Amino acid sequence: MASETNTKSARMRKTVYFSILSLLIVLALPLIPYAFDALAVDVKQNKEDKLVALQSPAINLWNDVRQRNGKIEGTSQVKSVDSGILINKTGEDWRRFRLEILVPYGAYLMAGILGAIILFYLVRGKTLISGGRSGERIPRFTLNQRTAHWFTAGVFWLLAITGLILLYGKFVLIPLLGAEGFSITAAACKEMHNLFGPLFLLAVLAMLILLVKDNFFKLVDLKWFAKGGGMFGGHVSAGRFNAGEKTWFWMVMIFGIALGISGLILEFAILGQGREVMALSHMFHGISALILISVSFGHIYLGTVGVEGTLESMTTGSVDAAWAKEHHDLWYKEMTEDSETIVSADKNTQSGIAQSGIASPDTGG
Amino acid sequence: MLEQLVDGIFWDIALVVFFAGIAWRIVDVIRRPGRNDLAESRNSGISGAIMANIRGFFPRREISPRIRIHVIAGYMFHLGLFILLILAAPHVKFIEEHITGFGWTAMPYGVFVITAMISFAGLILLWIHRLLNPVSQLISRRGDHVATTLVFFVMLTGCMALAESSTGLRLFHRFTVELLMIYFPFSALMHAIMFVPSRAYTGSLFGRRGVKL
Repeated sequence: MASETNTKSARMRKTVYFSILSLLIVLALPLIPYAFDALAVDVKQNKEDKLVALQSPAINLWNDVRQRNGKIEGTSQVKSVDSGILINKTGEDWRRFRLEILVPYGAYLMAGILGAIILFYLVRGKTLISGGRSGERIPRFTLNQRTAHWFTAGVFWLLAITGLILLYGKFVLIPLLGAEGFSITAAACKEMHNLFGPLFLLAVLAMLILLVKDNFFKLVDLKWFAKGGGMFGGHVSAGRFNAGEKTWFWMVMIFGIALGISGLILEFAILGQGREVMALSHMFHGISALILISVSFGHIYLGTVGVEGTLESMTTGSVDAAWAKEHHDLWYKEMTEDSETIVSADKNTQSGIAQSGIASPDTGG
Repeated sequence: MLEQLVDGIFWDIALVVFFAGIAWRIVDVIRRPGRNDLAESRNSGISGAIMANIRGFFPRREISPRIRIHVIAGYMFHLGLFILLILAAPHVKFIEEHITGFGWTAMPYGVFVITAMISFAGLILLWIHRLLNPVSQLISRRGDHVATTLVFFVMLTGCMALAESSTGLRLFHRFTVELLMIYFPFSALMHAIMFVPSRAYTGSLFGRRGVKL
């Protein structure tokens, strides 16, 4: 018994170390090319090359042109979208929105939610399964659902990290790496972001198909909202997904699809869209991304350290019956109507193998 | 300094280890003593070897619905990676300048991006499936995860260097390729070469078995 506990805690420790290491690698990945470049070029030479600031003699002229009212559109031999527009005034609006609203308020939103989560954890601590685990398991997610979830999560975080570097790198990384160093990191991030972006849209659509069935709001969800999801005590009833999970699901769908479509407009600038459409897409893209990233902190917290027994639903595909009874009582009732749904913990691995489609030696099939 | 190392000595070492390692593995397989088949052969076994190689590309009907993700993601990743390796413009240029002395028409940038997306999607799906599927979990070893991680990093650094905007990005990609080349012969990645002879061996063995009716 003791050795079994030791093995479990060793496995858990290994998983935690591996997760931390993976997270650090992913976070550091965009910075590694910078290190390569810094070592590859003659650093001494670079230090000696000092930039000389030169003011363009035409700067006042362009400022004057920009101050004129109305759409300034001329004719050009170049036949493409916006080719006749010398200076697009809306570009300045977009620039100011990005610098004065998106960047600071996005940072406040992320920091605020992160801070609230930390505070909540310090006050409330981990939500444990009251009465402990039952030892019986209930299947919660199929292999395909879990694969779609982790695919979406993996691609989302790769996009989030690269996107945040592109948005905040100017303020955070340029002081650390220098302008040239940041340009290398940004170039790497841009390529990764563009390549994985369309995959995220497909992943979100796959999630929609696989999980939409149980994510429609019902009357019981109103009660869940009214009781604050039981966060401050008291029991709240819920079906397979509670109202909070359903809200998160629809946020991922709405903002995820908005992110995907606006991303495609930005990435494939060859489809005839003008600068104004691009600027608008960028606004939607930035807002959607920052909202999703911020709320995902809460999702990750509740799915991992916040609530005991939740993470295993996405790793093993099943949950402890006591967890189901406590957090999703209506779903628990539904599932236990069929006594064969519940399996004992030691049989769970066998059932997982059977579910995966290859018969175990014991079943003989 | 680093450029000289990655483009020079590291590359030379990786090449030697890669080819010598593969040769050593192949010789090792050939030299392994096989059991003498004393029974009269049903046929020469060649048709069995050929058929096993062809059949290996298609999942068995009995289990195909259960391994759909494996098959689809497997084809997405392997075909995608092969196409990228052979037809990506920077690769064609590299092969022409450093290996063959001649090149061929590279695929357009748009096709490259779509192929890379398909290939990445396949690899990530296979990786997640390996981690989640109870059977894959049981039969996976540390080496399998190392190989997947290395291949993922090679592809990712390649994608980072896509714009060819800096020496650092190119060196980073080349360095990960060199690591993969060194690891390749000593890992399950050898299946990229051995799948044909191993299928042929099994196919010919079963092709010879049995009696003529």
